[in-house]
Parts: sequence; structure tokens; C-alpha cells
Amino acid sequence: MTTIITKTITKVCIPLVILFSISLLLAGHNNPGGGFIGGVMFASVIALMYVVFGLKYVKTFFNPDWAKWFGFGLTLASLTAFAAMFFGHNFFRSAVEFVHLPLFGEIELVSAGLFDIGVYFVVIGSLLFIFKNVGDDNE
Amino acid sequence: MIAEMSHLPIILIAVPILMAALMLFLRSNEGVQKGLNITVSFVMMALSFVLLWQVWNGGIQVYEVGEWGKYGIILVADLLSSGMVVLSSLVSFLALLYSLDYIEGKSLNSSYHSLFNLLVAGLNGTFLTGDIFNMFVFFEILLLSSCALVVANEKGGVTKSSDKMEATFKYLVLNMIGSIVMLIAVASLYATVGTLNMADLSVKISAMSAAGTLPWHIFAIALLFIVVFGNKAAIFPMHYWLPDVHPTAPSPISAMLSGVMIKVGAYGMLRVFFLIFRDALFLFQPIIIFLALATIIIGAVSAVGQKDVKRLLAYSSVSQIGYVFLGIGFGTVHALAAALVFLVNHAIAKSMLFLTSGGIIHHAGTRDMTKMGGMIKTTPVMSVAFLIGAMSIAGLPPMGGFIAKFVLFDAGLLAEYYIPIAIALFFAVFTLFYMFRAWLLMFWGEIRDVEKYGEYSSHKSSYMITIPIITLAALAFIFGIYAEPLIALSQAIAEQLIDPQPYIDAVMTRVVR
Repeated sequence: MTTIITKTITKVCIPLVILFSISLLLAGHNNPGGGFIGGVMFASVIALMYVVFGLKYVKTFFNPDWAKWFGFGLTLASLTAFAAMFFGHNFFRSAVEFVHLPLFGEIELVSAGLFDIGVYFVVIGSLLFIFKNVGDDNE
Repeated sequence: MIAEMSHLPIILIAVPILMAALMLFLRSNEGVQKGLNITVSFVMMALSFVLLWQVWNGGIQVYEVGEWGKYGIILVADLLSSGMVVLSSLVSFLALLYSLDYIEGKSLNSSYHSLFNLLVAGLNGTFLTGDIFNMFVFFEILLLSSCALVVANEKGGVTKSSDKMEATFKYLVLNMIGSIVMLIAVASLYATVGTLNMADLSVKISAMSAAGTLPWHIFAIALLFIVVFGNKAAIFPMHYWLPDVHPTAPSPISAMLSGVMIKVGAYGMLRVFFLIFRDALFLFQPIIIFLALATIIIGAVSAVGQKDVKRLLAYSSVSQIGYVFLGIGFGTVHALAAALVFLVNHAIAKSMLFLTSGGIIHHAGTRDMTKMGGMIKTTPVMSVAFLIGAMSIAGLPPMGGFIAKFVLFDAGLLAEYYIPIAIALFFAVFTLFYMFRAWLLMFWGEIRDVEKYGEYSSHKSSYMITIPIITLAALAFIFGIYAEPLIALSQAIAEQLIDPQPYIDAVMTRVVR
């Protein structure tokens, strides 16, 4: 898989796909998209990088512990859900706030978005943790 | 304080999930991981008792997740759910305490704690949810976390990795098929009735039944649910995965699987058939009774010939869950109460037996009973515990198992099911035979010592291992000599099951924000 064509295309794809996955993530709470879709897209492009450049080479400059990403996402998602309890509401109750920022115009801040970010990290962490461990056979 | 207490149902589900995440960050710090997990598990157990007490005093509790009223996911804690949560939290706390010493260090701090917490979350979620699709989701959490836990290594490495892989593969594939069947059943139910809320389903199906417009495929869906819960509970045609999986799992996980996990099937059966399909129940009672009897027979006959101590206990579980389903099949208030008493007693005794067998295996270094002998001298605690468990499972008088079998057969005779009771009674004698055969083989006879044969390991059982065993043994004994509170609770649960109107009222009167 290490032809010059795939390498070049992968290099172009990585930033584009990651940006697109983030835009899907942020659109998620009331438009098509969401943490799961965004996470899968992010994981797929990292997986493509692993396949094209080889796991050993990629590990020399980019070697995060994906299990930590998973843990971070799950903590964030569950804490978001717990947060509603401290405001006297039931678990998972979401809150919406509209904010005016000078350059961006009106921005919708939703607590469900925070939960989505948690899901995003859980999906990335779990998929890539499995992918990396299955591919990594020397250990 | 009261306001916080109304959040109990979700706390019992969400805190274990949060803990599972935290445990991943604490992987490098073994001591903190152990201490935190055992503390939280203890608090969860205490909270589950509080929940049962609240429900007992204040009636059915409904919790709306996200405040979406009856249109969102709701959690319902009635007596059955909260009672099952108490049982599962008790067994899981003791199993966790046991596994701190029993499981090999590397397995323990890499993923065991996270997965164990997810297992607890899945169990509590399955019991507390009031939404049939949500139940499916929690079934999946249960399945996947328990699958990974089966692979965890115990100290001493008695079970080969290849055996574990084979067992896990069987477990995963068969339960995935079960999950697909459940998904199809839930989807067809939704397509027919248009709701997933169990109370709402019950109301709508009752209305259809009263109007005479109950479509025929409701019966097919009910049969699919028998397959799903039968698969989880290892009922006769679907029992063959259990005797492979339960013995290969490390002992505390075997105790969880046999003590609580197979009861999830019985719980689902009670919930779905006595709430949703209560008008079609009369059609399925003969099927459930037939399957229960077949399970009792197959389990008992297979257990007699086993040499492997954990395999024997696993077949015994198959046989005993048949008695629970027999009670469910009879379907009267007394029979349901008896089934619940039986369920609790079996959960206590069988998880105790699996924990004890773990201690025995630890000591003997093998699972083959024919290679053990005379261990009454070297491990007196284990031998007494195993004797109490064996007596309870076989149904001998001072133990809880006697009361359980007595009320079950009594309820069956009251409902005039003479032939099923005769068959069940006959195969109860088999239980006596195989449990005592195992006890005699392991503890009596010629002493085989480490000096002579070099077989026994020098690993002594620590307090972490003996305390859970002694606690459960004491419970098995207490339920035998002072059974009234348990019987009274089971009677109340059975009355709630037979008349689900309070449950429906509690859920359906919710207002949407």
C-alpha cells in the first residue's frame, strides 16, 4: 500500500477529513452528524495513515495512548450527564444558551454538544485502540 | 437529602460507568484503583439497599432520564427491580473483594476494574430500565463486558488460554445471535404497537386484546422473547454455551455469571411476560413449563458425570435455573414468590460455591476432582463452605435451598401441577447425589499433599478470599433458618407482578415538560 499515489492522497486527506469530522461533530446536536459519525471519520483517517505509512513508522512521531482518549471521552460524557443533577434537574437534562460573539455572530452553546464531544473521543479511542493493538503484533 | 435520594436509580447505573472511565486513568496506580473500586462498590451496595427500602415504603419510583416524560427513557424501580439490584450489588461487591487477591496482577490492573464496573452498570441498567430497547442496550453492555472478563487470567494459570478463547468465542457468537433475535423482536413490537415504553406497551396490547384486534404476530414476538431470555438464562435448547463459559471464567466472574447473569434471563421473562404479554401468557405457560422441566432433566443428568468441579457447578446451574423457570411457568402468585425465593437462594449458594471452588482450585492446582482428596484437613474453611453450599443447592433442611424447594413444590401442588412437580422432585434427588459426590471426592479419602505428590500449590487463601465466602455461607444459612423476610418480600413482588396496574399508573401519569 505504500505507493507514492496513496501516500500523497493520504497526506492531503488527513487535514481535510479531520476538519470535516470536527464540523460533523459540532453540527451533531440538531443537524445530521454527531459524535459517533465524527469519531468514526476521524478514526478512519488515522487508520488510513497507519495502513499507508506503516504502524512502525507512524509510531516514531505520533503515538498517543488511545485508551486514555477513550477514558477521557467517557469521563466527559458521564460528567456532562451528571452536571444536570447539580442544577436540580434530572440526569441527562440538557441546557441551551445563545451567545453573541463579535466576529462569529450568534452561537448556540448546548450542553448536549459537550456530551457529543465525549462520544467523539470514546469512538476514536476505542476504534483506534483496537486497530492499533490488532495491527501491532510484535508485543 | 430527599431530593438527592430520588436520583438513586440513575446513580446506580451512571456511577459504575464513570468509575469505568476513571479506572482507565488509574492503570498505573494499582493500590488507588483497588481501594477506590472496592469503596465505590460498597457504597453502591449500601445505596441499593436504600433504594429497596425506599420502594418498599414509598411505592414504585419512576425516574425520567433527561426529563422527557413517558416519551423518553424512563427508569422504573419497583420491588422486583430494586430487589434484583440489591442481589446483584451484593454478589458483585463480594466477587470484587474476592478478585482483588484471586486475579493475576497484570490482568487486574489493565482492564479488569473498568470491565467489572461496566458489568455492574449493565446489570443495574437491565434491572432498572422501563424501556424495552434500553434493556437491549444494557444486554449488550453486559454481554461485551462479561465476554472480556471471561478472558482475565487467574493466579496459577489453571485454565489454558486456548480454552478461554474457545469458550469466549462460543459465548460471544451465541449471545450475539440472541441479541439479533432480541433486536428483531423489539423492532417488530415497535412496528406493531408504536411504542417502546414497557408500561405503554402493556396498556396498548391489553386494549388490542380487549377489542379482539390482537395481531397474530404478537405471539411470534413473544416466542422470540422466550428464545432471547432463554438464551441468557441457559434454558434447555440454548443451554450448551454455559458449561463451557462458566468453568473457564476466573472464579469471581463465574460467581457473577452463575449468580446474577443467568438470573437476568429470569428477570426479563418476568418483566416481559407478566407486564407486556400478560393477556397472551396462558398460551406460553405450558411451553415455559416444558422447557423448564427439560432444563432440569438435562442439567441434572449431565452434572452427574462431570469430573471438573466448575463444570459440575455449571451444569448444576443449568438444572437449578430450570426450577426458577418452573415457578415462572406455573404463574400463580405463590409460584412466582417461590421462583423468586429460589432465585435468591440459588444466587447466594451458587456464587458461594463458585468462589469456594476457586479457593479449592487455587489450593489443588487442578480442576479435576479425581486428582483431589482429603482436603478437609488442609482447607477446613473451604470444605465447610462447600458443604453448606452443597446442602443449600441440594435442598437439605437447615439451608436456604430447602425453604426454596419447599415453597416451590408447595406452590406447584396448590396450583395442581402434579406431574411437573413429580419430575422436578425426582431430579432434585440427582442434585443431592452429584453435589455430595463432588464433596466426598474432594474432601474425604486419601490425603494428597504437596509433599507427597507435588500437586498442591502453596498459595494460602487470604482474608480477601475467605471473607466473601463466609459472608455468602452465612447468608445461605440465615435464609434457611429465618426465611420469613425473604418470603414476605417475594410475596409482595409476586403480587406486584400479577397485578401490574400500579406499575402502569406510576409510569403513564407522568407529565411531559
